[in-house]
This record gives sequence, structure tokens and C-alpha cells, in this order.
Amino acid sequence: MDFKFGEKEEQLRREIREFVKEELPPGWLTAMLEEESRDEDWEFAMSIAKKLSKRGWLTMSWPEEYGGKGASLWEQAIYLEEVGYWGIPGTSMGVSGVAWVGPSLILFGTDEQKEKYLPQIASGEPDGVWCTGYSEPDAGSDFANIRTTAIKEGDEYVINGQKIWTSAAHRARWMWIAVVTDPDAPKKHQGISTIVVDMKSEGITVNPLVNYTGYHIFNEVFFDEVRVPCENLVGEENKGWYQLMRSLGYERGSVGVGAFGYGKRILDELITYAKETGLFKNPEIRHKLADRAIDIETAKMLAYQTIWKMSKNVIPVYEPSRDKVFNDIVTERLAITGTELMGGYAQLDPLQRDSRWTKLKGCVEGLYWLFPGIAIAAGTDEIERNIIAQFGLKLPKSY
Amino acid sequence: MDFGFSKDRKMIQKSVKEFLEKECPKEKVRELEEDDTGFDSEMWEKMAELGWMGIVFPEEYDGTEGDIIDLMLMIEEMGKALLPSPFFPTIALCSLPILEFGNSEQRKDFLPQIANGNAIFTLALTEPSATFEASGVKLSATSDGDWYVLSGTKLFVPYANVADYLLVVARTDGENEDGITVFIVNAKSPGVKVEVIPTTAHDKQCEVIFEDVRIPKENVLGEVDKGWDVVNYILQRGGVLKCAEMLGAAQAALDISTEYAKQRIQFKRPIGSFQAIQHKLADMLTDVEGLRYLVYSAAWNICDGSPSDLQISMAKVKANEVYQKIGIESIKIHGAIGFTREQDIGLYHLRTKASGFCMGDSDFHRERVAIELENYQPPKL
Repeated sequence: MDFKFGEKEEQLRREIREFVKEELPPGWLTAMLEEESRDEDWEFAMSIAKKLSKRGWLTMSWPEEYGGKGASLWEQAIYLEEVGYWGIPGTSMGVSGVAWVGPSLILFGTDEQKEKYLPQIASGEPDGVWCTGYSEPDAGSDFANIRTTAIKEGDEYVINGQKIWTSAAHRARWMWIAVVTDPDAPKKHQGISTIVVDMKSEGITVNPLVNYTGYHIFNEVFFDEVRVPCENLVGEENKGWYQLMRSLGYERGSVGVGAFGYGKRILDELITYAKETGLFKNPEIRHKLADRAIDIETAKMLAYQTIWKMSKNVIPVYEPSRDKVFNDIVTERLAITGTELMGGYAQLDPLQRDSRWTKLKGCVEGLYWLFPGIAIAAGTDEIERNIIAQFGLKLPKSY
Repeated sequence: MDFGFSKDRKMIQKSVKEFLEKECPKEKVRELEEDDTGFDSEMWEKMAELGWMGIVFPEEYDGTEGDIIDLMLMIEEMGKALLPSPFFPTIALCSLPILEFGNSEQRKDFLPQIANGNAIFTLALTEPSATFEASGVKLSATSDGDWYVLSGTKLFVPYANVADYLLVVARTDGENEDGITVFIVNAKSPGVKVEVIPTTAHDKQCEVIFEDVRIPKENVLGEVDKGWDVVNYILQRGGVLKCAEMLGAAQAALDISTEYAKQRIQFKRPIGSFQAIQHKLADMLTDVEGLRYLVYSAAWNICDGSPSDLQISMAKVKANEVYQKIGIESIKIHGAIGFTREQDIGLYHLRTKASGFCMGDSDFHRERVAIELENYQPPKL
């Protein structure tokens, strides 16, 4: 048992903080997930991605031959934690390239695919920006119910259908898409494949879906006779579901540390704000902040435990779901406590954070309006609880 | 960063678990609830023979040189088994401060006795004001030549009914943290009156009245008027160890409830196949695991000599909340049967208030966390 990081990890932490000091404006503080929304934010994010790539951090956990550093899971954890804390933009290249497209290609892609796509992501170039097409109007939590088809015609797949809630589709050069390649498969899971789609292809329409606070993060994407070469199939045809389960189970394990980093930053900002305004003397507020600090510390320990398990080459089964549900609960409480501290100022629009009346650059309000979305994205909390019950407690499947 | 345990620690865990499964089934727990002493002296002797009492002592005091993490793992298992025993007050609350603050005579006198199972100790700290704040210490100790004279009442003193010695926290001066002194008191001293108070946990907490009890001056533990250092040390070590006990109990309650949800059939299905039940259990699992690593990291910080006050107070708030919530949800998952004395689950729930109070309730520790946050400086670039 040892709950300290080694010198190697602490050194990396110092280097990242040095980078933040050099490259980000003083007092930089962002609301989560907002960089895809405004053009100027997106350009800045991409400029930082390029710099992160030069440091070898952008895809640090990938093998060196694909533009990574072969970094350990703990080094990656430190990086993601600092990214969350300081709000470093441009780290995910859309939402999926760094986190799961790259790792999935490393696991299942052909040599040609790896040579073509991985360096684009690792170099932080606009051509390395990806989006992911999983959800459809009738396939949310019931993901296997997707209807978008890719039917083989000669040496091409012809794609027809619709994706929805596609984050960063308006910024992406490529889509990582899950499609039905065998509509007659005996079980839905047995007819799904993953394919790479060029977003410049003819027949693709991207419509913005602006969220209720005015952010443009996700989109609906229509496919009308979109032709994709067969060599864009990743892994085996009709094995897409099983490939996804394998790669995602692993990738989701590192998500907790980033969420912890961001939560810790918000907490620190709130503590400083409460001290500066005198609110910290109020016993009720002191105790609320104490509770939030306990929440954040717990989230950290859970996230680290998941990474420790992965570092022992054990694929975490229910832990990423556990961490996601807990982080969502903590984020909700943090946002509520935060807006209570802001009082009347919590009404200010986080999108217009340059107003002289906005507190803490609107990050607390941003989090408040965003947290229900965070609890839905990448597996709703209800679905995650089903997974914990089924795989963590060995209870019968309930759905 | 390593969440794993060494082979030696796993051995300790396993041997304590196996011993308690054999020696302390729930029938035993129920039997001892009705017993006047509240513990099984034969089991106590066996525990001493196995070296449990002296696990953290150096060899010179008949100990086995373990650390607080070893002790924590033992106590976690005791929490799972609901072991009724003066082990916690003797070892967690008294032996550790004697080892840390005792002079060489005191250590030589008392620690081997404790290690060999020949002395039961308990801590007389709280009073009818039922607070762990320094201001709550009112029992007076008045200097009289080579003696101090103790007068006052202590409340919630665990196992004072069978204790050989009491660590008594008394007021020698002042009102708050200054002017507190800790005494080692022979429980048979004239003027000490002990009465068991009726608690739901049947855990032999006592009222102890001191009527002009004369204590020789050499029985001061640590320094006169500086006893709050000793108390703080007890609140830290005892706090994290109480958390471990609560963690064990919460884990056991979760295990029992999960098993029940798999067995209990309604609508021709196990109730554990319904999401209403699954989601409760899933949240309980997340809570217990979160608590687990908070407690472990607090204990590890103590071992490492790193600052640990914040972690300990965080762990105690979390333990209080998690154990209480799991107690309540467990009863609900069991339905009406959980409400009966026959089911084990009630035994766990009935101990939540005692554990929640011991070593400081949630508001006490929340305030300690807040004080730490007040002094905290966020990272600067």
C-alpha cells in the first residue's frame, strides 16, 4: 500500500504546470466541454493541441511508433488530472480521437489504417479531429438498436440513416461510426460494425443541435447514400459490438481522473471566493464546502483505484461505471453548492462571461446548466447503475 | 501509488476473518448483548494468545511490531463480525496514547499487560454535554500534595464495567484546550462508580462518576495542562480505526442485503432483478468503496508521517454518513423481515448511532475539515 506518486509523476506535474503558465492566459478557467462551440475558442484549442503534441503529451499513452510516448497509466492520470484542473483546451481532438478512436485502431485496425489516421491525431492537426456516431433517435441507452445501415456494394459500403447527439461533428474531419452491416443477424449485437467515414463525403448533412444554454456542442448527422471504401471497415465485419465493448471498457477507466481534476479546480475557486467575500465565516457554508471537499477527495480515491486496477492489467468491469455515477453525483452537488454561494449572480449567462458582473468567469453557472447533460452523456447514470448491479454485485440482468 | 496489500497484511486479514467467523457468529453477538460483562473472556484470552492486542507494540512490550494499517485491517474485520469486545477501547483508544505519550515506567507497566490480555483499558473523555470539543471537559482534577483529586461525571465510556484502568481526561486549568490533563486511573480506586447505560447497541457504554478520587501525580499521561495533545492524538488514531470498524460493518450490511435480494422472490423473480432494488445496492456499493479508500489513505498518511488531520476528519464524516445510509437502505431492501430481531441486518443498523458519535460526529469533523480548508492554499502557477 502506498498513496504517494513517484518522482517521475510529480516531475510531469511540474512540467505541465510550467506549460500552463507559458501557454494559457493568466487566470484561465473554462466551463467543461465548451471549446467546440465558438470559432475563436476552437481555434485556440487547436493551437494548444499542436503544442501538446510537440511535448508528446497529446497521445502520451500510445506506443512511440504511432506518435505516443508509451507513458504509464499513472503518468496519463497525472496529465488528465492537470488538464481537468487547469482547463487545458484541445486535449481530446474533438471528443473521440485521442480517447478511443486511436486506441481502438491500435487494437483492431489494419497497418494501413494505423499509418494513415494515428499520426494525424497525434500531431494535433485539424485532419486528426474526430467525432463519434453511436447514438440514434431510437438508440440511446439501447445502443444495439441502431438502424443506420452500411450495405456492401462492390468495394464500397453505402451508408443510410441518421446519427444524433454527435458532439463536434461540425469540427470533425472523420467520423467513427457504428452501423448495421447485417440487418438479418439473429441478434442485433451480431450485425454491427465500426467504420471510418470521411466527413467530406457526399451525402452527409450536419445540422447543429444547440443546447438550452446556447452552446453548440452536438449535432444531428444524416447519411444519404454515402459511399465509403470497404478498406475503412475497422476490425472484423459484424464484430463491431464486441470490439467496442473491449476498447471502451479500457478507455473509460481513465475518465474519472479528469473529472476529479475539474471538480477540484471548481472547489478551490469556490473556497477562495468564499474566503474573499467573507461567506466562509457562515457555518452553513463552511460545512457545505467541507462536504464538497469530502466528495472530491472520495472521487479522487475511486478514480485512482480504477487506474491502479488497470495498471495491474486487469480490465475494470464495473469500476468505470461506479466512478461515472459518483462523479456525476459530485458534480451536481458541487454545482448546486457553487450557485448557492453565487446567490443572485448565479443567474448570469455563462456564454457571456465577459460581463463585468460575472463571477469566476461563469464556470460555476456553466457547470450548473451542464451537469444534467454530463449525467446523460456516455451512458446515463441509470444504465451505469444497472452495470454496477449486474457486474459489481452479480445481480440478475434487469433489462 | 499502490492500492494492494502485502502478503503479510493479507495473512492478518485472513486469520482475523477466519477466527471471528468461528468464534463470533451472530448467536454469540446476541448472547453477549444480554451478558453483564458484554464480552467473552475466553475469546479475549485467545485473541491475546494470537498476538492481536500487541500488534502495534515493539517487541520489548511483548508486541509484534506491526503498524496502524495492520491494526486497521483487524478492526475492519471486527466491524464485519460486530465483535462485542473491549478490544477497541483498550487497543485503539488507550494503548496507542500510552505508547506515544507514556514515560518509560508507564509503558513498561501497562503495555505488556495489555499485550498479554491481562489489562482492559478504556477512555473516559466525554461528559453529559456529549461533545468531543475541549470545552466539554469539565471533570475537575485538583492538585493536593503528591495527589490529584478527581471529581465529576463521564458518560459514554465503553466497557468501563469491566475495565481495569481508565484514561481520564480532566480539567486542571482553563476552559478550552489549555488546562486539560490525562490521568491513568485504576478503575478500582475508591470513589469510582460505574453504571452501564441502556444503548440500542447493547455495547456496554457507561456512566462513570468520580467522587473525590485520589490519583498519584506519577499517573499523569503526558504533560500537565497539555492533555489536549493526547486527546487529539486519540481522536486521530481512534477516529481512523473507528472508521475502519464502520467500513467493515457497512460492507457486511451491503453483502447481506445483496444476498437477500438474490434469494427473496416476489412476482416470480428475485427482487434483486428489479432496478428499484439494484440502484439502491449500486449506490451502496459506490459509497462503501469510496469510504474504503478514504479510510485506507488516512491510515496510510498516519503511517507515512504525512499530514493526516484532513483525511481523518473527511473519513469520519464519510463513515458516519455511509454507515447510516447503508443501515437504513438495508432494512428497506429486506422489507418487513428486516425490521425483526431475528434478522442480522438489524444488528448492523442498531450500531450506527454509537459509531457515528464515537470519536466525533459529522458536524464535529466537518468543522475540522472546514478549518483545514480555511488554511489551505490552492496550487499556484
